[in-house]
This record gives sequence, structure tokens and C-alpha cells, in this order.
Amino acid sequence: MNDAREELPFDILFIGGGPANLAGAIHLMNLAGEKGIELEVGLIEKGDEIGSHALSGAILDPIALEELIPDYLAKGCPIEEPECRDEFYFLTRNRYFNVPFTPRYMHNEGCCVISLSKFTRWLAEMAESLGVNIFPGFSGTGVIYSSDNHRITGVATGDKGIDKNSHKKSTFEPGVDLTAKITVFGEGSRGSLIQEVDRKMGIFSDKMPQVFETAIKEVIELPDSNHFLSSDTTVMHTFGYPLGLHTKGGGFLYKMAKNRISLGLVVGLEYENPLMEPYRAFIQLKQHPLIAKIIEGGKVLQQGAKTLPAGGYYTMPSLAVDGALFVGDSASMLNTQRLKGIHTAMKSGMLAAETIIPALEEDDLTRRTLGKYESKVKQSWIHREHYAARNFSQALSKKGLLKFVHLGVQYFTQGKGVNDPLPIEADHTTLKEMGDEKATEVSVPMANDFDGELYVDKLTGVYLSGTQHVEDQPCHLIVQDMDLCSTRCYHEYRNPCTRFCPAQVYEMVEESPGVRRLKLNPANCLHCKTCEIKDPYNNITWTCPEGGGGPKYSIT
Amino acid sequence: MDVVVLVKQVPDTESLIQIEGDGVSIKTDDIKWVMNPYDELAVEAALQIKEAKGGTVTILSLGPEKTVETIRTALAMGADKGVHIFDPAADGSDALSKGKLLAAALKTLPFDLVIAGMRAVDEDNYQVGSAVAELLDIPQISQVTKVAVEDQTIKCHRVIEGGTVVVEATLPALFTTQRGLNEPRYASLPGIMKAKKKPIDTLSLADLGIDPETVGPAGRKVKVAVLNFPPDRKTVKMVDGGNPGEMAAKLVKILHEDVKAI
Repeated sequence: MNDAREELPFDILFIGGGPANLAGAIHLMNLAGEKGIELEVGLIEKGDEIGSHALSGAILDPIALEELIPDYLAKGCPIEEPECRDEFYFLTRNRYFNVPFTPRYMHNEGCCVISLSKFTRWLAEMAESLGVNIFPGFSGTGVIYSSDNHRITGVATGDKGIDKNSHKKSTFEPGVDLTAKITVFGEGSRGSLIQEVDRKMGIFSDKMPQVFETAIKEVIELPDSNHFLSSDTTVMHTFGYPLGLHTKGGGFLYKMAKNRISLGLVVGLEYENPLMEPYRAFIQLKQHPLIAKIIEGGKVLQQGAKTLPAGGYYTMPSLAVDGALFVGDSASMLNTQRLKGIHTAMKSGMLAAETIIPALEEDDLTRRTLGKYESKVKQSWIHREHYAARNFSQALSKKGLLKFVHLGVQYFTQGKGVNDPLPIEADHTTLKEMGDEKATEVSVPMANDFDGELYVDKLTGVYLSGTQHVEDQPCHLIVQDMDLCSTRCYHEYRNPCTRFCPAQVYEMVEESPGVRRLKLNPANCLHCKTCEIKDPYNNITWTCPEGGGGPKYSIT
Repeated sequence: MDVVVLVKQVPDTESLIQIEGDGVSIKTDDIKWVMNPYDELAVEAALQIKEAKGGTVTILSLGPEKTVETIRTALAMGADKGVHIFDPAADGSDALSKGKLLAAALKTLPFDLVIAGMRAVDEDNYQVGSAVAELLDIPQISQVTKVAVEDQTIKCHRVIEGGTVVVEATLPALFTTQRGLNEPRYASLPGIMKAKKKPIDTLSLADLGIDPETVGPAGRKVKVAVLNFPPDRKTVKMVDGGNPGEMAAKLVKILHEDVKAI
């Protein structure tokens, strides 16, 4: 086997196989076709297939899709439920209240329910039929710059076949330097490479800190006799219990095809209580009388988790640098107010494509031409949606009823609200210290809540996500200071990583009385990146494991 | 040396497997399809032989249209060309009919050696490789963990109860792969690019001169009566606390009183 790295040149390179980049690649090929421009276009995706790492609610506003592929239904676009008939509930521990009037941005007429995993697989078929070279199973592990460091010239893929001691195995396969005139980064939430770009080029500097939410979701199959299947409701959202009014987030339940539903809980990572456990909150949501009655007799088919960027308008990075553009969740395109990001992601990719063509024609790949992408976003409905919601996420982070004051004022001032911009804190700074007086080990036993069918524990959930990694590889989670875990972190926060991780990647083992050690199970990792975001000491760095590893979502 | 590898596309065992309403097949819409893991060993073995001896590696596969993806994967690993037996009339063939179809295609191809996985992880028949060798009237060696190819002969190690046995045969021959034979290589990114341009021939039943009535559902000698999932495993119970002696005592008590196994 050859150990030397090869260079593989493309005209345009897309990093990440989500809706933003796939829509961008399709639009680019269409535009290039109209102009008679021949382009070699590549797209890499770290999941073992397109869609394997795609997880979302998901309600799709088809506005961008209609523009991209007007005959999407005729082309077999997988739609789970064509009509959104909303209900919105406030939950207390044992009761629920139907909220009859919801703000206009919560309405979903004209939208449909999809599985993002299936949808992206379909988009990939469309892109491949137009000649896009799609490479699933390859992770981007480094950004390639021009010799003067001013321009991005491509992305390096990771080596494969490295053992856990960083030695080459017999199967060693060196990564490749993928070079391109223009690289489009659509890595999704909390991308690794875009952070590297930021360190070098400062694309996030002078922006508000990006904030995130973690979503845990299941696809549940219901028996034929289930009453919810025959009901008129197709979309439910909940707030209140189990998160209360101090943490932003809420539940969702969407009807899918084939007796299935999508059920999930979104938890704002600005939460303060170090004992908070998003997975437990998700189970509590399932056990709430409103939800438990709907899902009765069901069986979990697939489970997964991911983070989503919730900051919106004021957290968007510079969208272009010399040689590169940033799209989708990577570029904070998700609209928290509408609980949607697929339409904005797709549109951002398409606007990137519309910027690329003239840049190629002018043969100017600098920010001078690529920067026009920013103005295109500004002139599009992405901006209109985002600008109206510019203080929304911050308002939701307010504690208790104060959030409703902010939301109310914003509602009647087109988003301006009490303060504009309303400041926001980075998620890793919000945990409150516990103090030593509660020095006992905190663990909430959940074992009795699980039946292995409808209510499953974290490890069963990991199994149901299809997650697999090559076991013999370097640990992809870098914990800079392991001592910190057993000393300061234990005392101050009682190791919140053991709770915020939805996949039991982090465990504290007590080797002898009082002597604790952090044990990592990186093979469980769902690639949600909550750990890197929420760890109060910024002690965890999430790096890309060997390409092809991670969950294998197919219906999420 | 010309090597033909028999490759099958199978459901990823991590996929969401559900039994279809008919009770004898599985739902295929949410399944991820991959190369049978034992066939990956076969492709790797063929590529190593080609690297040592020269010659060609041809991938032969039988299955629906999407089987081409798996053939491309093998081409991306480094095989030279693909042959795809694709005919709706062949769907639902039993192991013997599959053997017939593959053997008929092999008769149209030059080969010194045929390599197949010892089993496909979907139907677990362990039959197709043997059927092909029998129909071609060539020697077959099953469940091979080590292989050495000379100009006219092949020498293979097989694991048997309590040891290994080394067997020899003259070429042309067929062997099937067992775990431990090798570590299959990754399909590299440049390899995937090159694979897009490699040829894949498609053969129908007519091309092979096979009567549709003798294969597919009509030609089945064995029919699936029912499919069942394995019984649910009960939750693991951890025996904790105390020193190993105390834990052993607890375990014995559980086995005796709760499980009533001893």
C-alpha cells in the first residue's frame, strides 16, 4: 500500500453532505449546465453514507426545494406527511394545556414532515445524476491554505488504518489533499474545520458567541390500533415540563408514514443546573401523560442525538473568505424561531452556488467576488426571517416569565424587543457550581423506567442509532487535562459530561474509595458535539474519527 | 493469474431489520446495503494475489440493479472489471440456482482461480461457493484462513477443531474465505474516482442461456417457511459489591435461586 498523500484537484469542493451543500451542489451543476461551463465538483461526508449523520425533526418548509427542484414530488422526494396540522401544548408535571393561539412564526401551513436522513439521500441521488462526485466515508481533518496563508485552497481528508497508539496498521490508507478553486464548508452544527478557519481567519470574531441546543430524537413505530394515527393532528410541540421555564427548548412529535412518529426533545445548552441530564429529560417527556398515551404500545426503531446552532442572526460568521464560503448550520443559518433550518440551509447553499459561477467567470476567487454571497443572503428571505428573529434565542434563554416579556415586546416590534442586540452567553459559561456541601455522588437511577421496547436506556439507544466506529483507532475525543475531571470538575459540577452526553461516552469510575478516573467510550459517540460545547472548562476537543464511523441513521 | 471474485450485496447487520408482512422476507426500504464481509476478504485476497503475481481481478455479482454499488466498491478497492448478472427473473433464487447462474457466467470468463466468501451474512447458507465449484467441476477448498498460490497449484490453510489442516489443489480452483484470512483494505478516494471509469458488464438470463423457469421462485428446491427474530435478550444483571469471593457467592445464589440453573 502506498503511504504518500495524493492530491486530487477539483473545481469546487463541498465539505459535508447535508441539505445546504447538496442543494448548493445541485444548483451549481444546473447553473453551470445553463452556461455551458464544465465543472469537476466533489463532496465529502464523514458518515458512511449520505444521510447516516442527518437527523432533524423534521418539518420542511419547501420554499427552497420548490426553487431548486420544482418537480420534486414527481422526482420521488420522500415526504413522510404532506400536511402540518399543528397543536401546541404547555406541560406541567402531570397535566397539559392546549395553547389555542400561537405566534405566526409557529404556524406550519404549507410545510411537510420529512426524515432528513431519507431526504438528504434523495438529494444526493439528484446531485450524483448531475455529475457531482460524492464521497461518503471520508472526513475532512485539516484545512489547506495557500503558501501565504491568506486563501483556503482545499481540505485534507483523514488517514485510515491508524491504531489506537497512532501506528499504521496493515490496512493503512493515507488521506488525500483535496484541492479546489473554491471550497464550500457545510459541516453542520459546530463543525471542526470551520473552527480551525476561525482561529486562522477570525470569521467569528466580533460576533456574539454561538449557542447551541441538543436534540434527542426517536422514530417510534405505533401499532395499527393506535388512536393517534387516526387523529387529525400531525404536528405537536410542547414546552414547560420537563425543562421548566428556566431552560429553553421543548418537545416535538410529528406523524410520519408507515405508522411511525418522530418524537424528540430539544434542550438549550445554556442550562445552569449541572445535574441536568438531557437524556433523562427526554425520558420524562415520553412518560408525560400526554405523550405516553400517544406512544402506548409503540416500539423505538431508531434513536439519535445532535446539536443545533440556535444563536441566529447575531452569531452568523463572515460568510466568505478568499477561496471559501460557509453555508448551513456551520454558518448559523438555522432559524430557531421557526424551529427550522433545512430551508435556510438549502437556500444558503444555493446562494453560494449563485456566487461561485460569476466568480469563476471573472476568475477572481477572493473575497471581492465571493463576498457577494453575503449580500445575496442579506437580500434574500433568509435575512428577513433571521432579522425578525435576531433577539429570539436570547429572549428564550431568559429565566422564568421574563422570557415572555422579551418575546412579547419583540413580537410587536418586529424583533427589536427591549434591547437590540440582546446579549447572550456562551453555553460553557452558564453552569452554576454546586459547592462542596452536596458532596455525595449524584446519580439518578433510571433502570426501572426502561422496558427495552418503548423506553430504552442510553446504551440501547446507541445500539438503535447503528453507531459503529473502528475500535482500534486513536481516541477522537481529546481531554486536555484528565486530572481536572477527578478534582475540580468533580467538586464544582460533579462531572456533567457523564450526564450531558446522550450516549454514555463519558463515565467516572471509582477505582478505590474517593479515587475517580474519567473513562472514555469513544466508540459510542453520536457525533452530536454536546461535550465540546457544554464542558465548563473547554477541556474537551472533538476531532473527526476515522471516516465512515458514527451513527447510521436511515429514518431520522 | 486471472482471479474472479464472487461478491454479494447484503443488508448491513446494523440496519433496521424488520420482517415483512408475508413473514418470509424482510422489509427492504430502510436498509443499508453493503458488501458481504466475507466477500471483502475475498476481494482483498484476490488483490494481494494480483499484486504478487500480476493478472486481473474480476468481480462477479448477482442481484438487483443497486448491486452495481457494491461492484463499484470492489472496483474502488482495486479490482479491474465487474460483471453483473441482473435479471428480475433471477430474484428469489435459492442457493443452488444462484450457483447455476454464477457458474454459467464464469464459463464466459477466463479464470485461474475463483474466490468467494464462505457464507453470506444475510441467508447464511454456506452453499453457493460449493455449488459453483461443483457445477464447474473444479476443486474447492472451503473456509480458508491462509493462502499461497503457485503457478499451477494453490495451497490453503483451513482451521479445524483443535488445529489447522493444509490442503492443496491444482488450478483452476475455487476457495471460500474465513475470518482471519486478511484485513480488507479501504476503498481510497482516488480509487473511487478510478472505479467510476472501470467497465461493468451486465448479463441477463438470455445472455447466459438459462431458462427463467429453472431459477427464481419457480426453480426453488427449498422454500422459506417462516422468519423469526432471535428471542429478546433479558437485561444484563451486574453482580456487584465486595471482594471476588463475595461476588462469586452472590452469583451462585442468583444462579441457584433466581435463575434455577444450578
